[in-house]
Amino acid sequence: MNCKLPILFGVSLTIAASAASAQIPWPRLPVIFPLGGSQPGSPPPPGAAPVTAPPAALQAALAASAGSDTVYFSANGFTLDSNAAATLTAQARWLLTNAMVRVRLEGHGDSTDTRDYALAIGERRADSVRDFLVAQGIAPERISVLSWGKERPGSIRIGASSVAAGPRVVTVIQ
Amino acid sequence: MIIRASSLGGRAGLAVALLFSTAAGAQDRPAPDPDSAAAVVIAIPPLATAKKVDTDAGDTWTLANQISDLIVADLKSTSSFIIANAKAVRIPSYPEVTAPSYPQWRSVGAKLLVSGFVNARSDGRLTIGCYLYDVQAGRELDRQGFAVTPTEWRRAAHKCADAAYTRVTGRAPTFDSRIAYVARSGTDEQPVKRLAVMDFDGANHVYLTDGAAIVLTPRWSPKGDRIAYTSFEGGRLHVRIADVDTKADRPLLPVGDDSFAPAFAPDGRTIALSMSVGGNIDLFAVDSGGGIPRRLTTAPSIETGPSYSPDGKRIAFTSDRSGSPQIYVMDSDGSNQRRISFGGGDYGSAAWSPDGDKIAFTRRDGPLIRIGIMSADGSGDRIVSAGPDDEQPSWSPDGSRLLFQRLDPGSRRTLLAMVPARGGEVRTVITPQSAADPSWAETQE
Repeated sequence: MNCKLPILFGVSLTIAASAASAQIPWPRLPVIFPLGGSQPGSPPPPGAAPVTAPPAALQAALAASAGSDTVYFSANGFTLDSNAAATLTAQARWLLTNAMVRVRLEGHGDSTDTRDYALAIGERRADSVRDFLVAQGIAPERISVLSWGKERPGSIRIGASSVAAGPRVVTVIQ
Repeated sequence: MIIRASSLGGRAGLAVALLFSTAAGAQDRPAPDPDSAAAVVIAIPPLATAKKVDTDAGDTWTLANQISDLIVADLKSTSSFIIANAKAVRIPSYPEVTAPSYPQWRSVGAKLLVSGFVNARSDGRLTIGCYLYDVQAGRELDRQGFAVTPTEWRRAAHKCADAAYTRVTGRAPTFDSRIAYVARSGTDEQPVKRLAVMDFDGANHVYLTDGAAIVLTPRWSPKGDRIAYTSFEGGRLHVRIADVDTKADRPLLPVGDDSFAPAFAPDGRTIALSMSVGGNIDLFAVDSGGGIPRRLTTAPSIETGPSYSPDGKRIAFTSDRSGSPQIYVMDSDGSNQRRISFGGGDYGSAAWSPDGDKIAFTRRDGPLIRIGIMSADGSGDRIVSAGPDDEQPSWSPDGSRLLFQRLDPGSRRTLLAMVPARGGEVRTVITPQSAADPSWAETQE
């Protein structure tokens, strides 16, 4: 599903907004609007997405602002590399700005993991992301965690073909 | 072989009353080694019936043929039997069921003969008698009789096949058993997964869940009356218990930490599972009726995929404390943990064999994901399936075969397949839809 986002940054962005399924990693965008500085409970600053916006629009706004709603991991890995840390730092900034938004961190295993291990490592990856976001100042109550194991393999389109999205955590607006 | 009448209650609600059973000369020779024994030629003519009577499952004459066909199909699915050409021989008359004409069975090369009868009873049930003869020696080896409702004739036939199978191989019965698995429909992005149960041969297929929530990794209770499985119901990853006959279904634990990967202990009273507590995934043991989970592992790594040894004293499991998932064994209280997989690549889905000597596993090595077996101490690691995408081995009740999930490269669908534990031909198990996560019912007595 595509949706138009005409207002937020003064430019019109078309973003694949199906967050639960994997998608083309959105190219990193420069942060146009200065974000951050808000505390939970304070009124949203002018740059914040309206809290009444539908989740799909908020999801697209998060992805646009942070560069992606998804961070990727190596096989059997759950530590955050520098790309993931940069993306999550930007996600944290957006979440601080949009203080009413709650997120679910959806962890995924690899399709070649065994069923049990995929559930476990997906959970572990989502926990890594939660710990990072909490360390960035996001209140733990705003974050829930779910592992899909290898039940939502997702796909990334590369030209005409698609490959499995693989080990990742998607930050899904609730 | 003697089957006690009380042991036939393995499936609650089924009335397969044992009418008679003898084990003439059952102790007169040691059980042969099933892996070295040559295939035995066995004759299985159609059963006899005293009188053609209509029943709820068709007339008794038709049933007599169906029962012998099923016995043939069961025994042919093993490598231990060659079916003699019974068409060359006169079909036994009713009196000949208990007094076989041995010379005519010798003439077709048979060493063993299975004969029997099916009669309609006045109470609407069937009496099915089953006799096993040593044709060469000219004597009876075993007899069993069952009173079943007409729709349960298949169980009597399976038990009859089991009598011949256990007699020849020395193995535990295997045909009167059931398989639980996850049936999959829908799309890759929105799969519909349902818990399903069927007989070992695919008959009597039923769904236990409606597909509203994704379900994974069913595991039978030792008695075959319950199934523990993992569910996403309510958007929460948790272990549930389904009663197979009543279809009653409940969460094992109250709302709380995520839980998954259940496995029954052999006593049926304890379930081992993984729980995510404070960001660490460890193994716990919990009473199968619920209660407070007892922690078994404490490592900061992932511990999951438990499987009890048949004596209940040890647990095999998966841990990535070494940096990659490997198989470990510990005492069932969590002590004496040690790694046993060293064959290279990643390991998982450990399954302890019914005889306690072996552990089956899934091994990912480069592009290949295959099923293998090693001794419970980790020695003798060997691969028994070709891959490239095999997973989740489950032992047959007699330990002779492994049932597993295989990705069919052509259709890109997963199906169930069987392979002899010593390696050999892989057979596909027919299911109505894509199938995953098989669990073969543990031994029914």
